Amino acid sequence: MVPGDAVRDGAARGDAEQRDAVRDGARVPAAGTRQAQPPPSQGSAPPEPPVPPVPPRGGEGGGAVPCGSGSAEDGGAPGAVLLGRGLGAALGGPRLPGRAGRLPALRTRDEGTISKTQQIITHLRKQKYNADYDLSATQGADTLAFVSLLEEKLLPVLIHTFWVDAKNYVEHTRKWYAETVPFPLNFFLPNSMHKRHLERLQLLWGDDYMEDEEKLEKELYRDARECLTLLSQRLGSQKFFFGDSPASLDAFVFSRLAPLLKAKLPNGKLQQHLKSLQNLCNYCTSILSLYFPWDGGDPLTSTPRAAGADGGEVEEDPHKRRNQLLSVLVGLAAMLGYAFLSGIVSIQRGSAGPGGRQPVALEEEEEEEEE
Amino acid sequence: AAEPWPENAVLYQQLKEEQILLSDNASSLAVQAFLQMCNLPIRVVCRANAEYMSPSGKVPFIHVGNQVVSELGPIVQFVKAKGHSLSDGLDEVQKAEMKAYMELVNNMLLTAELYLQWCDDVTVEEITHPRYGSPYPWPLNHILSYQKQWEVRRKMKAIGWAGKTLEQVLEDVDQCCQALSQRLGTQLYFFNKQPTELDALVFGHLFTILTTQLTTDELSEKVKNYSNLTAFCRRIEQQYFEGHDRDSSATVAARSAKRSLLR
Repeated sequence: MVPGDAVRDGAARGDAEQRDAVRDGARVPAAGTRQAQPPPSQGSAPPEPPVPPVPPRGGEGGGAVPCGSGSAEDGGAPGAVLLGRGLGAALGGPRLPGRAGRLPALRTRDEGTISKTQQIITHLRKQKYNADYDLSATQGADTLAFVSLLEEKLLPVLIHTFWVDAKNYVEHTRKWYAETVPFPLNFFLPNSMHKRHLERLQLLWGDDYMEDEEKLEKELYRDARECLTLLSQRLGSQKFFFGDSPASLDAFVFSRLAPLLKAKLPNGKLQQHLKSLQNLCNYCTSILSLYFPWDGGDPLTSTPRAAGADGGEVEEDPHKRRNQLLSVLVGLAAMLGYAFLSGIVSIQRGSAGPGGRQPVALEEEEEEEEE
Repeated sequence: AAEPWPENAVLYQQLKEEQILLSDNASSLAVQAFLQMCNLPIRVVCRANAEYMSPSGKVPFIHVGNQVVSELGPIVQFVKAKGHSLSDGLDEVQKAEMKAYMELVNNMLLTAELYLQWCDDVTVEEITHPRYGSPYPWPLNHILSYQKQWEVRRKMKAIGWAGKTLEQVLEDVDQCCQALSQRLGTQLYFFNKQPTELDALVFGHLFTILTTQLTTDELSEKVKNYSNLTAFCRRIEQQYFEGHDRDSSATVAARSAKRSLLR
């Protein structure tokens, strides 16, 4: 059967399998890839970095992320190949977060745009691309279990690290998005995503944790670190989680770990812990080089430059630029409005004179009346 | 932490007959099973306001000496600090798997139970609302019920379960049971000879699902499909809950659950 061969053919990454799938925007659902349908779905996937090097991270992003890079869907499924860079041009305009603007998104010939991670996976399965084809039942069960573990313990903390932790958010994540999202959305989009993630964490963790930074740090980050260590122990010295060929669990784990590993976070405790787990680092880099060869080299060249310059300014007031612009606009609008309403300036059809006539006329009338 | 386990440790949960819901019953049973497996004596006390007494807002919680600990995870750690542990004999990989499977149960089974209780309109109207507010006078019972429902629904939305239909939720339960069944295989316990906290957790949830009467039997049918899981539950019940005559809280709970949730 096709899948069996396809899966084993690790090298045939995708280029061979041109499906007519065009991938919108960025990354790959591999991010949310799970074996079957476990619950917390796309919504839970962390945001997609617009910058190439850190590939699959299904997320909700609204903006047009220019550097779409393709990658293998279900870890090994050489199926989905997605377009490379230059996808930016293919994207219409900025998308608002909402119905149509969810990432990852897969545009297929037959079925329009599919944007939920789980649905994308199901779609691919129907097209006979399945990375879990040759897993035993126990391994399938293990996949489910580990996915749940990641979802519960690691994911919220990742969201916190990228989006809620003030330093990281302001200096890194927001810039990441703001640079690639076109004007004028770049003022609002990262913020709205930030709010959404904040709210989500609040619901998940309760007010207790959100208010008490230390407790959060201690307990939740400890759990996340433990989760990473557990993953490392499970991986051991194998190449992939289930032997020599990748499965959806690998895609899932990779998509969570890679951004954490590669992103240059100012506040990187979790990152340091990950870096100390050598086998996970090697695992990530090997998958990166195997399946994302165009993203080779050291990524994130754009961020350091921006970060250096604006570092100081950003500390003071994250919204300075936006506030300035808005206040100028509001001031202008107010002045114009006043001018029109009080008659200093008026638009008269057919009359040569500027508004000056009006007030003068009024004054004359007043004088007449007084007399 | 070096103090021995006192004789008067107490476990608090909601009222067994009238108030407790499926998910809370499951959690409580899991903790009781765990403590039984560790051979630590515990007395179960039912209070209508157990949820509010708990430090984290969730039941059950135990009151040991002068400490109060809630939920299975922290309780396991607490017990470990006192020197009792069920998972010491496991190696690293097995421990990782155990934690992962526990999260699986929490993630899927518990969430499915919550969904069923609070997001499925029929169940909400016929079972949850009357039970949840039963110890309180009108109109407080309605207010509390609605408040809790709203809270749970928000949470469901945040994790993406709000858009699921009942069939999908049952599918998820089925998959979870399949995974558990696969893992258990023909062994006595999940990690061979000795029970661990995973066994306690799985027992708590599956037993409650099997013995609770809801508006439909679909949920328990899903579990019954896997004979090794039902045999597992029976075995643990016989070994840890029927052996003690005085401390037969779980058996009583089980039997009363069969009757009382029939409305």
